[in-house]
Amino acid sequence: MSAAVSARQNGCDNVLLLERDRILGGILNQCIHDGFGLHRFGEALTGPEYAQRYIDEYEKMKGEVMLGTIVLNMDAERNLFVSSRNGFTKIEARAVILAMGCRERTAGAISLPGTRPSGIYTAGAAQNFINLQNIMVGKRVVIMGSGDIGLIMARRMTLEGARVEGVFELLPYSSGLPRNIQQCLNDYDIPLHLATSVIQIHGKERLTGVTVARMDGNFKPIQGSEWFVPCDTLLLSVGLIPENELSRNASIAIEPRTSGASVDDTLMTSIPGVFSCGNVLHVHDLADWVSEESALAGQFAVQYLNGEISPPQKSIPILAGAGVRYVLPQSISGQRDVTLSLRVASPSRNRVVKVNDGERLVANKKMLRLHPAEMIHIKVKAEKISEAGRLEVSVA
Amino acid sequence: MTNFYDVIVIGAGVVGNAIARELSRFDIKAAVLEQELDVGGGTSSRNSGVVHSGIHYKPGTLRAKLDVQGNAMMGALCSDLKVKIQYIGKLTVAQEEADIKTLHSLKEQGEANGVPGLSILNREQMERLQPGIGGLMALHSPSTGIICPYGLTIALAENAYVNGISYHLGQQVAAINRTAEGFDISTRQGERFRSRVLINSAGLYSDAICRMLGIDEYRIYPCRGEYLILDKRLSGSLSLLVYPAPHKGGAGLGIHLTNTVDGNILIGPSNEYVGEADDYASTAEIMNLLKKEGHELLPGISAADFIRNFSGLRAKQAPPSEGGFRDFVIESRKDIPGFINLVGIESPGLTSAPAIGLMVRNLVEELLPLPLKDSFIAEREGRAGFFFELSPEEKADLVAQNPDYGEVVCRCEQITRKEVLDAIQNPLGIRTINGLKYRSRAMMGRCQGGFCLPRIVAILEKEFGYRPEDYLLQHASSKLFAGRVR
Amino acid sequence: MIKKELTCVLCPNGCPLEITLEEGPTPVIKEVVGYHCKRGPEWAEQELINPMRTIASSILVGGGDFPLVSVRTDSAIPLASIAKVMEAIKTVRVKAPVRIGDILISKPADTSCNIIATRHVRTAS
Repeated sequence: MSAAVSARQNGCDNVLLLERDRILGGILNQCIHDGFGLHRFGEALTGPEYAQRYIDEYEKMKGEVMLGTIVLNMDAERNLFVSSRNGFTKIEARAVILAMGCRERTAGAISLPGTRPSGIYTAGAAQNFINLQNIMVGKRVVIMGSGDIGLIMARRMTLEGARVEGVFELLPYSSGLPRNIQQCLNDYDIPLHLATSVIQIHGKERLTGVTVARMDGNFKPIQGSEWFVPCDTLLLSVGLIPENELSRNASIAIEPRTSGASVDDTLMTSIPGVFSCGNVLHVHDLADWVSEESALAGQFAVQYLNGEISPPQKSIPILAGAGVRYVLPQSISGQRDVTLSLRVASPSRNRVVKVNDGERLVANKKMLRLHPAEMIHIKVKAEKISEAGRLEVSVA
Repeated sequence: MTNFYDVIVIGAGVVGNAIARELSRFDIKAAVLEQELDVGGGTSSRNSGVVHSGIHYKPGTLRAKLDVQGNAMMGALCSDLKVKIQYIGKLTVAQEEADIKTLHSLKEQGEANGVPGLSILNREQMERLQPGIGGLMALHSPSTGIICPYGLTIALAENAYVNGISYHLGQQVAAINRTAEGFDISTRQGERFRSRVLINSAGLYSDAICRMLGIDEYRIYPCRGEYLILDKRLSGSLSLLVYPAPHKGGAGLGIHLTNTVDGNILIGPSNEYVGEADDYASTAEIMNLLKKEGHELLPGISAADFIRNFSGLRAKQAPPSEGGFRDFVIESRKDIPGFINLVGIESPGLTSAPAIGLMVRNLVEELLPLPLKDSFIAEREGRAGFFFELSPEEKADLVAQNPDYGEVVCRCEQITRKEVLDAIQNPLGIRTINGLKYRSRAMMGRCQGGFCLPRIVAILEKEFGYRPEDYLLQHASSKLFAGRVR
Repeated sequence: MIKKELTCVLCPNGCPLEITLEEGPTPVIKEVVGYHCKRGPEWAEQELINPMRTIASSILVGGGDFPLVSVRTDSAIPLASIAKVMEAIKTVRVKAPVRIGDILISKPADTSCNIIATRHVRTAS
């Protein structure tokens, strides 16, 4: 929605928003907890409220929407093959912005040993049932993964009368925000077990429990450290995967580190006129940043339509250096200011994030607290990079 | 309540349903008793889906005869029942010199069994069929195919039902008494059934059924095969089946890759005797081995390509000490007239199923008159493929006729609302989410139901009045939910 | 006298605070170290003596296009009041239509907050 609103604001009067659900808002509709909009609106809103701001904005601009419409395929000429109750048709687009979000990693994808009983859900699916369909998924819960979705669901389940036995995190540190550790776990005396993971599922019909074990430095279970946790529900919060099915089928170049499209400083993918933003580009932790990035995509898409984005003279690659898991965009033109988005590989304190062109320091940012779960942004000015050969971002 | 039938079949697996369908051609009263809430919950749905050519079986055995016969029948059967089948062929590859002799023996054996089209290929010929393949030479069996095993099992049951066979699901046979007319069966659920002829097609539990009649000579040793399912992204990698030549006493698991008719790739199966006939657990050890094999055999694979694990159990008659295979037992018992006993139908049970149906039909005919019906409906309604497999023009037409085809419910597999509704409203109905899954293919994609299960639940609630306590995954106590939030 | 460790959540710096306090019916904070701004010790005091929270939940809606309307507290309430506020939320039923911001429960369980709707729920057609 942010991209659509931005495209309208930037002067395009022929914007179409395609949404496969029957309502706008995407995953925000089920995120009924607050914390959205602190940066964007200066308020602590819930997901639905945050979404409504954009719905209202787009409606005010009389933006065009097709609900219940799924894009099944896109080709390299930006033809979209869409399906809805109204028909199966082809839509031709001069510019496309991909904002399909992500899906959750499943029990099957992590090859969880044991049986396959009922009672195993990804945290987001459980959230959907509880918040949107008034269905309670279970009574005695184990949560695998300490990412924010898992923590939020730990609190939600507890407030709704379930007993959360614990949150089990594979890594030696939690991937959730400290605010959520406090307000979702500590407030309710829910134990957080670090460097511990679920290694087996039990139960032939409904889940009866899980075996957990401490992990060594190579994420292998430590013999003898196993214990059984009785439960009837297992919620998985073990990672989000950008949903780039459409992009892959269109042969858009995908960056393995993000599982999202490889983009330049206009958020354009390898197909001219096709842009990518939000969680489908890389998984975000704050919706506010999704909106900001997507607004940029909308702006660049309109510039592209107006012929204002010429193919860059050069393509300056940006590399993830020491301590950095990934940086986005993957390449820049050097012709415009750019905000780099990055994630560090491990938690640390009192560091400097540096952007270098060889020996030359192009930008830096001092930070008291760095964590893989918190996306970092660094602004880089065009004049500093116009002559750059290649950039490297590292943690010093 | 007593239900009196001419024939009762115990077990709604692919074999039991094939038998039932054959019997449904005749004007008799017949029923199938199945302990689970849906058909095909055992070995029938949990295998590689291969339609074997018949090269691996000793001439003169039932396995050899029925497999070749079943293989030949399968094409027409699938066409009638609207089940997907592809005769893609198989290469049995000689990796070492010593294997070449094996290939020739297999060819000879196959030809003795009546397997058509066998030929030994050299490297160049192999490369043409499967670029990049390793190995020295290969035996090509063009009549090997792949099929949707649960699709066939369900289709046979639906068609048998439509043709008058009664299906009693969720009925577990507890005791069998012999009576003057035949058999008196009582189930754990408190039901009673009587029949003149009783057919034991209980698969993993066929020995338990035997014991209820005082037959102690059989014992089933469940042998588990674990599988991993790969994302459809890799489906182009294999044009036909490629198996290594069998080694006598060879080390390792001999794991292989198998295409499915829907575009996934299966890695497996493993081989492990287990203690219980329902021990379907997956193990870390085997899954790690399967992953390693996957990475070796398919270079382009990544961790994200593994989407699901499952396992199946083989109903082996041979104990672990003996290993190997024993021939099918398909007998009309002289000591218990009226009792037709099937024991140890493991591979190639799926391929043989149509032929077993015929064989058992003939055995029944020795016991009862079988007057032919003139109202037998051989063809099943619907189409073999999914909406997503149609051309854009066909899709546009269908959506224009029925908007339910335009509403995609399962995003990963592009399964439409119409297909989900058809699955729910099939002649046998569904009692479980897995039943819906196997009939529609929804929830079988990358997200494994993460996106579509909430939508499916909304459909079941709104259109069919389901309440939270009504949803079962597979078994009677496998509830999905605990109740309402408010 | 005991020491407690808390991560301050007021800003992304997430300063690790170490608080020395005297336990009792009214705990007394003796020392706070680890903060980078003066809001740290103020927050630590509030958090240890009377932690405040906002909560979000759902209220049953009749006749709407959703079975539940998502709600939240419009201001922070004491952590200790959450259970009683949840009781109120669980027992209330409202009727569609509901607009974002509608006050559905006023000052539940002696708190000073209101429970407000956070999504529109239209009357089901």
